Amino acid sequence: MELKIQVLRIVCSFMMMCLVGNLSGGTVEIDLSGEWGFQTDVMDFRRGSLSPRYNHKLQEKIVLPGITDDFQIGYKSPYRHIDRLTRKYEYMGPAWYQREITIPAEWKGKRIFVYFERTHWLSSIYVDTKEISKVDYISVPHVHDLTGFVTPGKTHLITVCIDNRFQYNTHKWNHAHTEFTQINWNGILGEMKLMALDPVYLDDLQVYPDISDNSVKVKIQIKNYSKSKFTGKAAFSIQGDNYNLKKEIAVSGKDSVFVVEEKILLGDNIRLWDEFNPHLYNISCELTTQTEEKTCQHEKATVFGMREVKQGKNHVLINNRPVHLRGNVENAVFPKTGYAPVDDASWERLMLIMKDYGMNHMRFHSWCPPKAAFRMADKHGIYLEVEMPMWGRDAEPDEDRYNFFRREQLAILREYGNHPSFILYCNGNEITGNFDFIEELTANGRAIDNRHLYSGSTARTRVKSDQYYVSQQTNKGPVKVYEGLPQTNWDRSAESDVDVPVISHESGQRCIYPNFDEIANFTGPVEARNFEVFREMLEANGMLDQAHDFFRASGALTVVEYKAVIEALLRSGKSAGFQLLSINDFPGQGYAPVGILDPFWESKGLITPEKFREFCAPTVALLRYDKSVFYANETFTAKAEVYNYSRAAIKNAKISWSVTDNSGKILRKGRLKTQTIANDGVFPVGDFTFNLRGIDVPQKLSVNLFINEDIKNSWNIWVYPPHTLLMKSTDEVLYTREFDEQAKQYLSQGKKVVFCPMPTKVKGRKSTFHNHFWNPIMFAWHPMTIGCLIHENHPVFDHFVTTYHTDWQWWDILENAKVIEMKNAPNGLRPFIQVIDSYDNNEKLGIGFEAKAGNGKLLVLALDTEKDMENRPATRQLLMSIDNYVNSDKFNPEITVNEDMIQSFLISE
Amino acid sequence: MKLLLTIKFLLITVCVSFAQEIRLTEFADLKQIYGKPLSSDDLLPMNELGVDFGYVLYESEVLIASEESVLKVENIRDFAAVYLDNELQGAIADNHKQLRLKSMPGKYRLRLYVENIGRITYGPEILDNLKGVFGEIQLNEEIIKHWTLTELKVKSFDIKHLKFSDIGQHTTPGFYKATFLTRRPRDKYLDLSGWGMGEAWINGNYLGSFWEQENQQSILIPAALLRKGMNEIVVFELKNNQQKSFKFSDVPVFK
Repeated sequence: MELKIQVLRIVCSFMMMCLVGNLSGGTVEIDLSGEWGFQTDVMDFRRGSLSPRYNHKLQEKIVLPGITDDFQIGYKSPYRHIDRLTRKYEYMGPAWYQREITIPAEWKGKRIFVYFERTHWLSSIYVDTKEISKVDYISVPHVHDLTGFVTPGKTHLITVCIDNRFQYNTHKWNHAHTEFTQINWNGILGEMKLMALDPVYLDDLQVYPDISDNSVKVKIQIKNYSKSKFTGKAAFSIQGDNYNLKKEIAVSGKDSVFVVEEKILLGDNIRLWDEFNPHLYNISCELTTQTEEKTCQHEKATVFGMREVKQGKNHVLINNRPVHLRGNVENAVFPKTGYAPVDDASWERLMLIMKDYGMNHMRFHSWCPPKAAFRMADKHGIYLEVEMPMWGRDAEPDEDRYNFFRREQLAILREYGNHPSFILYCNGNEITGNFDFIEELTANGRAIDNRHLYSGSTARTRVKSDQYYVSQQTNKGPVKVYEGLPQTNWDRSAESDVDVPVISHESGQRCIYPNFDEIANFTGPVEARNFEVFREMLEANGMLDQAHDFFRASGALTVVEYKAVIEALLRSGKSAGFQLLSINDFPGQGYAPVGILDPFWESKGLITPEKFREFCAPTVALLRYDKSVFYANETFTAKAEVYNYSRAAIKNAKISWSVTDNSGKILRKGRLKTQTIANDGVFPVGDFTFNLRGIDVPQKLSVNLFINEDIKNSWNIWVYPPHTLLMKSTDEVLYTREFDEQAKQYLSQGKKVVFCPMPTKVKGRKSTFHNHFWNPIMFAWHPMTIGCLIHENHPVFDHFVTTYHTDWQWWDILENAKVIEMKNAPNGLRPFIQVIDSYDNNEKLGIGFEAKAGNGKLLVLALDTEKDMENRPATRQLLMSIDNYVNSDKFNPEITVNEDMIQSFLISE
Repeated sequence: MKLLLTIKFLLITVCVSFAQEIRLTEFADLKQIYGKPLSSDDLLPMNELGVDFGYVLYESEVLIASEESVLKVENIRDFAAVYLDNELQGAIADNHKQLRLKSMPGKYRLRLYVENIGRITYGPEILDNLKGVFGEIQLNEEIIKHWTLTELKVKSFDIKHLKFSDIGQHTTPGFYKATFLTRRPRDKYLDLSGWGMGEAWINGNYLGSFWEQENQQSILIPAALLRKGMNEIVVFELKNNQQKSFKFSDVPVFK
C-alpha cells in the first residue's frame, strides 16, 4: 500500500488526536481521523471467525476519512466499461478498520459515542473482542453508543467494520451508491470523532418557524441517563446579522426521554429567508441541569431560516409567495473523488454555479446529500428536493426493506429538517410496487414535520398525500419537455393544471458527443476508459480529426434545445417549475454527456452563464411566434411575455424590440407600451409585427426583446427569397431522384448529376432534427444519431445561411431526409451534411455529399424534395444554393466513389 | 314571469346538479374513430401500425371449446380490455397477463382494446420499445392467429365531430355524453370513481385521462373551461364498466 503522500496528513491527524479539548457545554470530543489499521475481508468471514475474540491486530494501514479506492484496495479492474466510467479498484464487502483508543479517565460518568459523518452502508463497532453496535443509515451520520462498553482511563482496541454491500434488496441505480455516478465506496467520510456527554443532554433540537407572528417553536428532546430527577434551565440564544435574542426556560423531569416545546417570539427585526434574501440565524440551546449526583451541561446549536413552505394552487409557496423552480437534477456525479463531498467549499462552488446559470432549485435524485450541501444551499438561496435511496421496485412488498425506508425517512427529516433550503421531500424516483406503502411514508412525513412539502414518487402513481408532483405527465397529458420546436407558441400549462403543483421531470436530456479532451481530467478513482474505446473506434473509422467538431456541433444543438425547452416551461404559467437533466454530464446509464458542463461542473465552452441567464433567470423576456423560417415577402408576428419570479414587480418597464442582422445592424425596431410588470407570474406585455420586405439576401436575423436595460433575450429567424424553377436539369447538370441509366450516362460523359433519392428509397436511419435522448447506449432506439456537423465553409452552402451546427432553419430539411450509412465510402470522403453517429458505433453518416463518379461529378442529397415544398423555404434555399454550386466551377469533388458505393445505400426495387 | 320561472328552474337544476350525479344521456359508437385496419397472420406490436402510443383494437375469431377457457398473453404494454363479441371478460396488463374467460362454448370475435400511454419502466425491458400486444396470445395453450389491428383515434379525432345517439345499452367501449348547467364557473373535480379506463373532454376541450387502477380518481376541471349555462362532458370509456353517471367534487378524489 502506497502511503507516502499521506504522511503529512497522518502527522497532522496524530497531533489532533492528542488534543482532547473541552468544548463548551460539557461536550468533550476526540478526533478520530488519521491512520487506522486495516484489513479487507472479501470472503466476509472475519465477523464469523475467531479473530475478534483474540484481539487480532489488523496488519495493513489506511488513513481516514477516506475510501478504499484512495489506497488502491480491491480488485484492479482490467475492464473498459462502455456504459459507465471504470472504477480502477473495486471493493464491495466488509472492510475492517482498527485503532487503539485511550478513553480519558475524566470521562467517568459520561455518555460516550462514536460519530461518523457519512459511511456506506452498515457500520459496526467492536470494543476489544465484542461487537457492541450496528448502524445502517445511508443518508445521515452513524452514531454508536459506547457507554458501558468502554472504561474511562483504559485503552481499548476499537475495531470498525464497514460493509458497503447492499444491506437490503434495493435498486442498484439509486444515486446513494450506484457505480453509475458516485461509486459504492467503502470508507468513512467527513467528521469522525469520539464524544463524551454529560448524562443529561440534548438529543435533538428542532426549530419550526411561524412567519405569521415572527416566532419559532423550538422543540428539544432531552435524554436523561441519571436515573434520577433533574432540574435546571435551557438557555436559548438566537443570533444573526444585527440580531441577538436570548431566552431562558426552566426544565425539570425524571423520564429518560423528555420533550420540551417552547414558542419564542422573535420580534419585528427578524428577517425572512428566501432565494433572494437568504437570511440565516443560528440558535443554540445551553442545557444546565442538576441531578442527584452532579451538574450536567450540554449545548446544541443549529442554523434555521424564517421561511414557510406551502402548497399553492399551481406553485410552491415560499412565505406565501409563489416560486417557480428552475432546477437541476443532481445525481451524485463526483468522479474526482468517487463520493459526494462533505466539505462546504465543494458544495458552495456548485451552488454558486447554479446561481450563475440562473437556477434556484436542485433535486437530489434518489439520494440525500451530506450536511454541507444543505448549509451552502441555505447560504445561497437554493431550494432543495431531497429523496431517499429509493427507485423502481423498491415499494414492492418486503418488510425488511420497508422498515429500512421508514427509519431512513425519519432520520433524514430529523438530521436536515432545520435547513430552510430543504423545501421538498420525495420518497424516491419512479417507484413501482405497493403504493399504500408510499402513501404511508408520505402521510407520515406530513404528520411529523410541516417544514417541507411531500410527494410520494416522481413520475409514477399519485398518492393522496402528495403536496406536489414531479412528473413527465399528469392525468391532463404530458408535462415533460425534452426538445424544442421551430416555433414558440406552445406551453405545458393546461397539462400542469391539476390538484397539486406540478414540476416537469427530467427536462432536456439532449445528448452531446463526448469531449475526449476530458479523459485526462479523470484523475480520481474512476477513469473514462469508455472514452478511449469510443475514440479508438472513431480513429479506426478514419474520423478522429473530427472528434472535436462532433463535440462542438452536437453541443451547440443541445444549447439550442435547452433554450427552447426551458422557455417552453417558463411560458407555462401553471407549471411549478422544471428540473433539467442536467446542467452537468451524467457518467453512467450508458454515459449521458447531456450537460453544458462536464461531470466536474466545468464549462464545456458551449454557452456562457450570461447567455444562459437570458432564458433561465428570475426575469426572462419571452416571445411566442409561429415559425422560424420565412420568405422575404412575409410578416413576422409575435406575442411578447415576461416571466417574472424576481424580487419584485418591474415598475414602468420600458419594453422594446429590435431585429438585427448578423453584423448587429438594426433593421427594424419598436417599442411596446411602457407598463408595470407584476411579479410571481408570466405576463403578456404586448404584440408586435414587422414585415420582411426588402430583405433580399438570404440571412439569419435576430429578434431581440428588451425589458429596461438589463433584461434581454433573442431568437434566430431565417429569411429566404422565394425561389421557383428549382432542380431544373440542363445539358450539363442532371437533377434526378433515381440513379438510373440517364444518370450513369451523364456521369460517364463527364457531366454533373445531382441525385436526390426519396428518403423511402434510401437505406439507413430516419433523420431527425434532435440529437439523441439521454444516450444511445441506454436507449438504443431512434434516431441513434447526435446531431449534425455542417461543413459550413463548403461552397455548397454559399447561398444558404448556416454555421457549423444545426439550428431551427434545418428543421424542415432534417425532418424530411434520410441518414445514409456511409461505411462503404472511401475514407477521405466527408459529407457536407455530416450526421454524427452514436459514439459506441462511430460510423460515417451523411445526408448530403459529393464525389467524382464515372467521368463526372456527383452530388447526393437524401432529401424529400417533393412534399409540401411551398411551405419549406429552407429546403428551397438549400436547393437553390446547390444549384448555384453545381453550375459553378467550384464544384470539384476530390474523392471518387464507384457505383457499388451508390447502390450500397439504395433500396433495390 | 317566464324569466323568473326560468331562473327558478335553473336554480333547481344547478342545485340538483351538484347534489346528485350527472346522468349520461348519449352514446357514440367507436367505429367513427377507426383507422385503417391491418391484417396479419401473426400478432404484431402496435408500432407496426405506426402507433407508438394511444389505442389499438386487436381482433380475431376464436372457438371456445370449454367453459374453463384461459387466455394467456406473452407481452402487453400496457393495458387491454378483453371482450368476447360484446361481452367484457376482464382486463390484462403487464403484471396480469392471464385471464379466465366467462363465456359458454361457441365461436366468438375476440376483441382486445389495447391502451399504451407511453409509460417508461426501468428494468431489463428498457431497451425494448415495442408497444401493444406482441409475441403470442394463447387460448387454452393454442396460439391465436389471423389478427386484425385497427387504430382507435381517440386523441387525434376531433370529438366535436362525433355523432351521438340516445344512450341505450352498450357493453363495448365508446363515448358517453352528458350535459349539465353551471351558474358560476369555478374549479371542480370530475369524479370518475367506478369507471374503467379512458379520457374526458369538456365543451370540446381535452380534460384528462383516468384509470380505475390509479389511486387518483378525479380530473381537475379548470373554471376557465366551464361555461355559464349548459356544459357538455364527453367520456371515452375503454373498459366499459357500464357506469350511468359521474359526480363532481370540490376536492381531489383518491381511493
